[in-house]
Amino acid sequence: MASFDVMPDMQLFQPAALDDALNLADRYRENGWLLGGGQDTYGWLKDRAKSPQAMIDLNGIEELRGIRETAESIEIGAVTTLIDVIEDARLQRDYSLLVSAAKRVASPQIRNVGTLGGNLVQDARCWYYRRGLDCYRAGGNICYADSPQGMNREHSLFGASRCVAVSPSDTATALVALEATMVARSVASERQIAAEKFFVGPDTHITRMTSLKPGEILTAVRIPAKWADKHFYFEKVADRNAWDFALVSIAAAMSLDNGVVTNARIVCGGVACTPYRLHDVEHAVLGKSLSENTATELQGLASKGARPLNYNHFKLPLMENLVRRAMRS
Amino acid sequence: MSNYRHIGKDFVPPDIVGKVTGKAKYAEDFSADGMVFARVYTSPMAHGRVTNIDTSAVLEMDGVVGILTADDLPPVEAPNAPMLTNSPAYVGEPILAVAALDEKTAEDALALIRVDIQPLPYAVDPLDSLVVGGPDAREEGNVYVRSREGSGFRTVKWTREQIDEFRAGKEPTGESVSEWSYGDLDQGFAAAKVIIEEPFVTVGYAHMSMEPRTAMAYWQNGVCYVYGSAQSQSFMIPGLANLLGIEQKDVVLISENTGGGFGSKIGAYPMMALPAWFSKKIGRPVQLRITREQEYYLGSARVGFQGWIKVGFAANGRVTATDVFIVEDIGPNATGGDGSSAGEAVSIVYDPESMRFRGVPVLTNTTPRGAQRGPGQNQIAAIMAPIMDKAAKELDVDRLEIRKINAAHHGTTVYADQEPVTSAYMKEALDMGAAMFDWTGKRNKPRRNGSKVIGLGIGQGYHSAGATGYDGLVRITPDGKIHLHSGVGNLGTYSYASTTRSAAEVLKCGWDNCVVHHGSTEANLPWSSYQAGSNTSFTHQRANYVAAMDAVNKLKEIAAATLGGSAADYDIADERVFRSGNTGQSMSYAQAAERAVELGGAYSGQTWPSDIHEVTQRAVQNLAGSGLIGVAKDNLPQEGVIPGFAVAFTEIELDLETGKYEILDYVGIAECGTVIHPQGLATQMKGGAVWGMGMAGHERHVYDPQNGLPANVGYHQCGVPTYLDIPSSMRTGAVDLPDPQSPFGARGIGEPAMGCSVAAVTAAVADALDGHVFNRTPISADMILNHVAGRPQSFKPLQTNNY
Amino acid sequence: MDLATFKKDVWGREVILGASWDLLWLVVVAAFVIIAGHAIVMAARRRAPKPSSEGERIVRHKGADRLFHWVMAASVLVLLVTGVFPIIGIEFPWLEIHWISGLVLTAAVLFHIVRALFWQRLKCIWIRGRDFRELYDSSVKPGKYSIAQKAMHATVTVLVLLVIGSGLVMFALIDTPWWDRTNSISEATLGWVFLVHGLSTLALIAVVALHIYFGLRPEKLFYTRSMISGWISKEELAANHDSKRWSPGESSS
Repeated sequence: MASFDVMPDMQLFQPAALDDALNLADRYRENGWLLGGGQDTYGWLKDRAKSPQAMIDLNGIEELRGIRETAESIEIGAVTTLIDVIEDARLQRDYSLLVSAAKRVASPQIRNVGTLGGNLVQDARCWYYRRGLDCYRAGGNICYADSPQGMNREHSLFGASRCVAVSPSDTATALVALEATMVARSVASERQIAAEKFFVGPDTHITRMTSLKPGEILTAVRIPAKWADKHFYFEKVADRNAWDFALVSIAAAMSLDNGVVTNARIVCGGVACTPYRLHDVEHAVLGKSLSENTATELQGLASKGARPLNYNHFKLPLMENLVRRAMRS
Repeated sequence: MSNYRHIGKDFVPPDIVGKVTGKAKYAEDFSADGMVFARVYTSPMAHGRVTNIDTSAVLEMDGVVGILTADDLPPVEAPNAPMLTNSPAYVGEPILAVAALDEKTAEDALALIRVDIQPLPYAVDPLDSLVVGGPDAREEGNVYVRSREGSGFRTVKWTREQIDEFRAGKEPTGESVSEWSYGDLDQGFAAAKVIIEEPFVTVGYAHMSMEPRTAMAYWQNGVCYVYGSAQSQSFMIPGLANLLGIEQKDVVLISENTGGGFGSKIGAYPMMALPAWFSKKIGRPVQLRITREQEYYLGSARVGFQGWIKVGFAANGRVTATDVFIVEDIGPNATGGDGSSAGEAVSIVYDPESMRFRGVPVLTNTTPRGAQRGPGQNQIAAIMAPIMDKAAKELDVDRLEIRKINAAHHGTTVYADQEPVTSAYMKEALDMGAAMFDWTGKRNKPRRNGSKVIGLGIGQGYHSAGATGYDGLVRITPDGKIHLHSGVGNLGTYSYASTTRSAAEVLKCGWDNCVVHHGSTEANLPWSSYQAGSNTSFTHQRANYVAAMDAVNKLKEIAAATLGGSAADYDIADERVFRSGNTGQSMSYAQAAERAVELGGAYSGQTWPSDIHEVTQRAVQNLAGSGLIGVAKDNLPQEGVIPGFAVAFTEIELDLETGKYEILDYVGIAECGTVIHPQGLATQMKGGAVWGMGMAGHERHVYDPQNGLPANVGYHQCGVPTYLDIPSSMRTGAVDLPDPQSPFGARGIGEPAMGCSVAAVTAAVADALDGHVFNRTPISADMILNHVAGRPQSFKPLQTNNY
Repeated sequence: MDLATFKKDVWGREVILGASWDLLWLVVVAAFVIIAGHAIVMAARRRAPKPSSEGERIVRHKGADRLFHWVMAASVLVLLVTGVFPIIGIEFPWLEIHWISGLVLTAAVLFHIVRALFWQRLKCIWIRGRDFRELYDSSVKPGKYSIAQKAMHATVTVLVLLVIGSGLVMFALIDTPWWDRTNSISEATLGWVFLVHGLSTLALIAVVALHIYFGLRPEKLFYTRSMISGWISKEELAANHDSKRWSPGESSS
């Protein structure tokens, strides 16, 4: 095999206006590569596991950057860096769930340049796939991770369909819990996609992790005001406390009325190819107060229906424990 | 604390400024006129035979300068590592190299080359190879024996039942190929009140050198200049000359700085020689930059263990008998020896009254193995610490006391031959650590807080820490400068400089007036030891001492010849040699150096001692006439094993709900004789601690057994601990009592600094889990979660190279 | 245009990935051209008087066979839609529907094979030498099935068996409620399985298109009716079949 450590030739575009970027995205479609913070880009390209014809650098487009308040929501431009998300006072005050999640992304160096959009649309971290193997996710006809001797400790418990990779994004779980909307623009249209529908599993599209189509650009994320300043809990358990992906993470947004849960959205990361909503837990917690007792009553609901692989059944008790901690919070 | 002027004092090593400012040059930073760039094409499969290489698509490619294959190189007999091979035995083994005007062209060319490889059976877990009918990692056999009686391939197979029983934790009954023992084992176990018997696994993992083994080479007038990344300096020369097929005098090695070797760059290695061969073929300087990913394939890894241990304890905690059996994962190139070293470490750290070691080194088609910080000693330290605690619990003996009862001391005899030690202060180290850590106070603190549990651990690390017989070389020039020539490699510990301070101490000179020469054969460096095995401090303190003593004698002789009287009448101070009791009758070092040049002969290097190494001889020849030369081989008396010890105390808080633990406190105590460089020692102790924490909880090889593929080909996947996985502050100390066989009392410390850490952490985890022993490194969050939840572990017993 | 696409296996060796889906457009265009050509030729020809569907009814297809046909038709259509739509960019969770339909098709085909082998006259669908006379001698009429129908049956049989055979191998290699994926065959073999599955699917698309077209043609529509309600009229029988070679009983209805 070759060394895989030199970028291939490609055209670089650095548009300053979104329309120009959209035109370029439309022109190159599958053969174009959208560049945000570059943290999921250069590995692929240097490894030559992906060889786009053109790189479209979005960092020069001012309208894709920044955090704005609107009547019903707060809107975060897709190219806003994670550190800007973390340090924003409004987000800290009203949507600390997202801030907590963003704080646990990778490392300070990566958060300084990594963008929210990039964190959301990053590709699967399955080591077989990242190796550049022609697996299902790469358009092949086999999954190496889900085989009798596959090394799949970090892989999925739910929703696998041929591919067993998991969603690696920390902010995705928080945004699904916060009922965020993703704004996707193309030359022809603007789509507003519920965060939950934005992430797609391998049963629907095995070579993509989001519903973004070639030619589309994720321009912004909108978080509805209805979840402002509610009760939040975020925790990520990874092998390492910095620069690592979640073994399991949990993002919970709960409305409380006199200490009783009136609405809840609870999402786990690292257990499915998309952020995984714990519908049974959400349903069961309604009308209950947050307590150890409630946690005990919910025992077993989170991991119900899981299909563990060779090396990942530890994620079942971990999911349960994280729900317990959210209930205790 | 001593009254020395340099020994035991901090100083600024000369390369510090370059390292802080980024001006320090590593192998990759050097270039030469007309230099071209090489890249290697490596095996995509774990074991195979190259049947065809089709380079037709690149021969005429613009910018491609040449192609090198195994057929261009002298044949290398398995299991030795070749530069290029037609019989790859691991994923990532180099098969051919392409040189081009730039790296991109070379990379583009690699993509067009077609190499057909016939796959052969492969093994990534030694037990899969050891079982009857299992695959052999090499066509010649599955076991490689290295011994004084002779080395060679063997085919060793155990029955399915024997493997199953081993996995089930029973004493292995399969064939071993090496064995040693002392004392009466049966009697030892008969005398034991408690016997602990455990199977264990330590998974191998990458050396993780930040600087990949890049090299650049060219030829000039028959001399080969190699810019490489090396742990050692002078020690590399014979091996490099051998790899290049030339005489030692025709090799120049430049290695000013090294971005980590950790045991993987001790001696000359194939990738260091490859650019030189390529350069010879195409007649241009060639740089071969090994990529990050390739460094994980061929950059060496720690030997993995699958073993069984049985330890007998008397009622007072004294170890009466130890029986160890280790199956070693020695990779494809049969590099190892860790198993027996582990046994030796047990024999000194716990000083069992009787002991047996048995081992079988099994070849696998995984990354080639090499010595990694505490090779063997540190694996067994991690396993032994929780076992000692288990025994202490059963015997109701304090965990600190059981270690003190078995602690090595001056009278301890060690290893198979029960040799003496030069000195040993293990008990003192334990006491010092316990006091600094507040062992008694911490032991009585509440342990449980919600889902979190406190765990305390004590670890002990060991490695032999010294060698003898190397050369020292100092020089005083007529400008009064004192030149300290160090053949020690600059592997990051500053020992290349700190050991020369013993010469400065002997010469009673100021440090500001000293110039340390290192990093290039052309700097005229003496023959020096390998920078490995924790030996440098002991070894080169002695070598510098004898060279400086030679210089002092010559200073006195020159003074006597110049000023009258005999050499015995003279003394030195303040860079002057003077008549004792009459400081007025004196000459400066500068004057003496000038006189040395005039006098010639041995004084200025025209002659030299007959017993110095040819490397030193050449250095002296080159320096002859430039000043007063002090040169000697270390013939100081030495007897017995030179030990380096370290102990660690750690406090962790383990969360039963996440399987994660935080290391709250860490105290590391060095027992390495006299401290010669306090800051260097503290850094060694902390660096070793971090490494141990990585081994205890994170770092491991993962191989897909179905396809023979490694998962660890980058920093992230290898799991090196980050700054948030280690304590924010660590405390260190040193016993600081001199070793009698070292002129200034110092022994080495590098490796034990890590062994004590991994042991303390595995012991602390067991303590937090009420004494549950995993008998495994690393102990990862999933293992703890499964244990707490009462679920089975995902891996089968004794499985290795898995998560 | 290539028949197959290729990929690298786990050790970087080139192996077959599957059928080239560029062929899909070729197949669609070819089927359209054939159908359009046939329609034009038929439109230009003098139309034979259409036999009456009134009068005595003859049983052509028993209930079980009709059921089989439509179950098979439905499952094949579902399989084609779930298999091909995602390839042309219409995304939905298709795999589960696909393999369930595949199992339905397999069960139906097994049922048909058993029934055909033990309870039906195999000879009536077998192509024999003399059947070819139908092609150039318009006075020669077929038995129960015309040579075109026999050829269609034979083609569908081969293609469906190929697609089922390869599909079952693929089914064994995915996770199902009954077993976990095995990945037990080599990637080179797997490529051949995908190739067979893909090419037979492509051929089926063409064959199904032709089958539907002929089923909807005015002069053949009574066959489609017979596949729904089971009968043809005596007149239709007389006009299209040789009663010496096929003399079915009258319908009881």
